[in-house]
Amino acid sequence: MNNLSEEVKQLIIETLDLEDIEPADIDDEDALFVDGLGLDSIDALELGVAIKKAYEVKIDNNSDDSKKHFYSVKTLCEFIAASRT
Amino acid sequence: MDFTIKQCVAWGGGLTTIQDWQSYAQGEISLSDAQELPPLKQIPAMQRRRLSPFAKLALHCALSAADECITTVPSVFASRHGDLIKTNKLINDVAAKEDLSPTLFGLSVHNAVGGLFSIYTGNKAPLTAISAGEDTFFTAIIDALCKLSANEYSQVLVVFTEILVPEIYKKYVAQDEVAIACALLLAPAGQGDEVYSLTLQANEDHQQIENKRMQVLDFLNFYYSNSKQVNVKSKRHSWQLNRAVS
Repeated sequence: MNNLSEEVKQLIIETLDLEDIEPADIDDEDALFVDGLGLDSIDALELGVAIKKAYEVKIDNNSDDSKKHFYSVKTLCEFIAASRT
Repeated sequence: MDFTIKQCVAWGGGLTTIQDWQSYAQGEISLSDAQELPPLKQIPAMQRRRLSPFAKLALHCALSAADECITTVPSVFASRHGDLIKTNKLINDVAAKEDLSPTLFGLSVHNAVGGLFSIYTGNKAPLTAISAGEDTFFTAIIDALCKLSANEYSQVLVVFTEILVPEIYKKYVAQDEVAIACALLLAPAGQGDEVYSLTLQANEDHQQIENKRMQVLDFLNFYYSNSKQVNVKSKRHSWQLNRAVS
């Protein structure tokens, strides 16, 4: 899970061109959108495409479930791990 | 129509300041392949990260030239090829049956940089995005003059931007390309202003090939010189720009 979390953070930084941010700067439990890391709705779409491509998981756009999955790095990792099994 | 140029800001070919462009017009220095981009530190990092080299060139010149009327000035954003690097990447992804990047898609349209300008400044004035082949630069001025005249605006911002086309399209471009942006703040001429007038006629010569030099460089070379007039022919048009003091 820790490796996956590192991987996901790296993916977020690269996909969204986050300048001056290191994986260590992102807390596993912090909100990715709005208040936390400050990502916006375009980032959500972009990240969805990247996660889908990297982990071959299916994401329902705009469902309440996806909102929960995309809340933090931790929830994203749990979602990816669950979808893989 | 007579007009005046209240601001002129250009960045490209290694030339970034008014002094650089004056030296260029005097023939003292020439363009280089330098790809240095404006830092745009005034834009927050979270917004700046989405700016391509094309957007950075355009926004730097637009923000500097718009100056005091930045939140209210109507604008014309012009580019012959637009941010073609993005379009090219999208087309490649389509061909490879990959998912398309939503950000790339959203920012690849011709009015994207105008949109970024509007979002950053909160400017809600009318904005057009145009493209007109090798005549794009002067056509943008014509568009701005029409806006000035028809709507009685006190000024209109013109932002011209071009970057090098991706390798795959190089063979279709006859012009010597320079990555450059140039923003002009145009206004109706008043007392004591330098007065410009721009006229165009159909080119009777039926010139077969495009000009090697980009019109924006013809303009900058003239603007920073002491000349009273410049004539520029393209395949379709014959342009004349005059300058006088009222």
